[in-house]
Amino acid sequence: MNIYLEQLPQQLINGLTLGGVYALIAIGYTMVYGILGMLNFAHGEIYMIGGFTGWWVLHLLTRNNQVIMNSALVISLMIVLAMAVSGLVGILTERFAYRPLRNAPRINLLLSALGVSIFLQNLVLTYQGAKVRVFHIASLIPQDLRVFHVGSTVFSFMRVMVISVTFLLMALLTVVIKKTKVGKAMRATAQDIEAATFMGIDVDRIVVVVFLIGSALGGAAGTMVGLLFTQVDYYVGFQAGLKGFTAAVLGGIGSIYGAMLGGILLGLAESLAVTFLPSAYKDVVAFTILIIILIIRPQGLMGEKIPEKV
Amino acid sequence: MNYESNTAAAGEVGAVSWRSSNRLILYGVVAILLIIAPHVMPDSYWLRIYTMTGLWVMLALGLNVVAGFAGLLDLAYVAFFGVGGYIFALLSSAQFDIHLPFLLVLPLAAICTMGIGIALGSTSIRLKGDYLAIVTLAFAQIFKLLLLNLDSPIDITGGVNGIFGFDPINIFGLHIASAHAYAYLIWLAAVLVAAGSFRIKASRIGRGWEAIREDELAAEAMGVNTTWMKLMAFAGGAFVAGAAGCLFASFQDSVFPNNFDFQQLVIVYCMVILGGLGNITGVIVGAVILSILPEFLREYGAYRMMSYGLILIVLMALRPQGIMGDISFLSRKQKRPDKDETGRLRASTDLYYESRDHAAETRQTETQFFKTNRIMLELKNITQDFGGIKAVNNLSFVLHEKEVLSIIGPNGAGKTTLFNLISGIYPPTQGAIYFEGAPITGFKPHRVVRSGIARTFQNLRLFNNMSVFDNARVGRFCRTNAGPVSVLLNLPRHRREEQETDRKTREILELFGARLTGYRFDQQAMFLSYANRRRLEIARALATDARLLLLDEPSAGMNPQETIEITAFIKTLRDVFGYTILVIEHKLNVVRSISDRVIALDYGIKIAEGSYDEVAGNVQVIEAYLGRKRQ
Repeated sequence: MNIYLEQLPQQLINGLTLGGVYALIAIGYTMVYGILGMLNFAHGEIYMIGGFTGWWVLHLLTRNNQVIMNSALVISLMIVLAMAVSGLVGILTERFAYRPLRNAPRINLLLSALGVSIFLQNLVLTYQGAKVRVFHIASLIPQDLRVFHVGSTVFSFMRVMVISVTFLLMALLTVVIKKTKVGKAMRATAQDIEAATFMGIDVDRIVVVVFLIGSALGGAAGTMVGLLFTQVDYYVGFQAGLKGFTAAVLGGIGSIYGAMLGGILLGLAESLAVTFLPSAYKDVVAFTILIIILIIRPQGLMGEKIPEKV
Repeated sequence: MNYESNTAAAGEVGAVSWRSSNRLILYGVVAILLIIAPHVMPDSYWLRIYTMTGLWVMLALGLNVVAGFAGLLDLAYVAFFGVGGYIFALLSSAQFDIHLPFLLVLPLAAICTMGIGIALGSTSIRLKGDYLAIVTLAFAQIFKLLLLNLDSPIDITGGVNGIFGFDPINIFGLHIASAHAYAYLIWLAAVLVAAGSFRIKASRIGRGWEAIREDELAAEAMGVNTTWMKLMAFAGGAFVAGAAGCLFASFQDSVFPNNFDFQQLVIVYCMVILGGLGNITGVIVGAVILSILPEFLREYGAYRMMSYGLILIVLMALRPQGIMGDISFLSRKQKRPDKDETGRLRASTDLYYESRDHAAETRQTETQFFKTNRIMLELKNITQDFGGIKAVNNLSFVLHEKEVLSIIGPNGAGKTTLFNLISGIYPPTQGAIYFEGAPITGFKPHRVVRSGIARTFQNLRLFNNMSVFDNARVGRFCRTNAGPVSVLLNLPRHRREEQETDRKTREILELFGARLTGYRFDQQAMFLSYANRRRLEIARALATDARLLLLDEPSAGMNPQETIEITAFIKTLRDVFGYTILVIEHKLNVVRSISDRVIALDYGIKIAEGSYDEVAGNVQVIEAYLGRKRQ
């Protein structure tokens, strides 16, 4: 038992990092669900595209294993460009695959989303190949900064960076939703899309904004996971998408704060599970949580307490 | 989706109604093709493709039951396929040295897979559609992870390497070993699944699924046990997938985890979508096309999966009914109601009066039934609390047999909520409801219908893409019992039931004269006029053999002439046919002429009860409608 207690702070840190990333992915699901009531299967692929964008930015800015700019600038560029590209892909999928089906039966929309997912995944497979891309982060962070110890717990620079960026993005999103005009329009549209139209809100534009924000956050998550685990391939979106969705459901789909909470809880649960179980079963844990939650509390942890959904 | 399924339905009804000689010729051609085909394949490679095509057809048809008929997005379908495959692999190989005969393993695999399907489905089927998708997707992932990792500490699945080298199939001394034998075996299975699909689609089960897809709440309120029916579709899909997995494992003589990957799932979905969800012929064609086409496009293999994604997106946006959707020569020749035998156009008014006279002649008109004093429905202290707002508050009343009782009250008085409580759509927060002496409180709507209460909806909830006839036939669902086995085997009991269903439904539709019969019989409900839709709602409720009818604003939206007609009809329903009727109505002249008694509601409370004149003169009622006079 002692050995577990010793590992606990370490696992908490790991869980928090992972959880933050899941939360970012979950937000994309939950926002789209809140507005359109649809499950965007393709969200995982958008995350994957974010990962690839990050890899390409790093790759193009590296010469002879040395980054050609300030590391902070490179990391910011990676995240910002990943957000931009993912956001763009998100908008395009909405425009071409979902908007024509806005009034169609639900199963058609789901099937179209499935199609987008397959298409994007295999698009990347075709043009980027199946091989795993490795992020060469060695040159990005000076050796003496890479890890630091507090007691027996190891903090890596990357983890701290990921946690900070994640929470910064979530805080920004909260401000946008709470304080801005577009945020108000988003909340109204989530409540009742028709009534919002009658009140003069351009719903199509709001849907585009929602896809933009959700996809951009997914893209940021993709790059940050790349930086953390130093690799990305065409297939990572599938698992990540499922995890993000699990997080969204755990927190109560439709609720943004629920998604944040659900992501962090899922991350913690997974890293704590790894101390007890072989790591191959880490994903089994996540999906079992998902199935159990759906059966006993389908509205999620925060499904009722926070009626505000976007 | 609704649209395509309907044209599909039309096509298949047409196929069934062909003269039997035509059908025999069709069967003969199909049989000859299937017998010859394996022998005309140019080489063993193409023979293999041919056999695999049969397997894909079988898989696609199974998925069509779940996704097409019942409209459930089942993403564990290929995992079920894998479960079947692995069950065969474990029970008929050297892996555990169990060597059961194929004839035992095949049903065992199918039934076990179905069991797993039921277990998974029963946990998630009451959830909304997309949750089911996610639960099944998660199950598929868990399944694959287990396949990959259960090779240690004990080797069960063989991990990445899979399991291979199975016992050869031996069916009563008939050895299935050659490629030709497999081709026959697998195509035989595919043909059986296809025949079963056709049968089930044309049965009460198929109509039940179609109704659920059209409008789940209305289906439940018309007596279809929606949870059970959805579970049945889910289990049926799993059954076919399990059997297909078993055949596949034996054919390939090995099973690997990536035989049952997400890719295969997408391919099967593409086949079903390409053919049109629910369209059996279409799905077969879709499966054949997508099995063979890639062989010609092999040099573009890298784009294969990408194009499957595109197929899904493009079809959903532009042609959700699939490629076979509108092919007209398959559908029955439409009777032209507006032309006589010589092809001369006739005025529609002629048609109307002609058939009305005919109906009037046959209809009995003398009054046979009156209000009795036996209590039929009793509500005791019913309260419905919507988070603090009491839509119905401590309401009690009785309804006598063969009585016409009207509920009146201003908007928001709780009239429709009262109907929802009686018909079981909401369980009441407090209180009890008795029907013919037995409690029905908290019954699900389909059980309420079964006990003899049927309703109509204020804002019309017909199955819009189903024909008039089929709409009414759905009403018979709760009076028929044929399960999947008797439908698939076409047992006499099922045939009798279907004949009875058709006869009763026709009788009921004929009560409405030309409004719902004649050429309107096969018309989709959405093409009916507003007043006729209201009539069809009543017909559908009558078809359930209800003794108590709950009519929610039967004359809403009707013009004065139609209102007079429907008022007379409601009177006939009681006087001539002896139905007990509880009716919500706003038009007071209708209320006056039909009701034995009237109850006025306001804010969920009964404010007056008695004869029409008593209630209409009641001060509280006048205040509820018009407000209080200024003092």
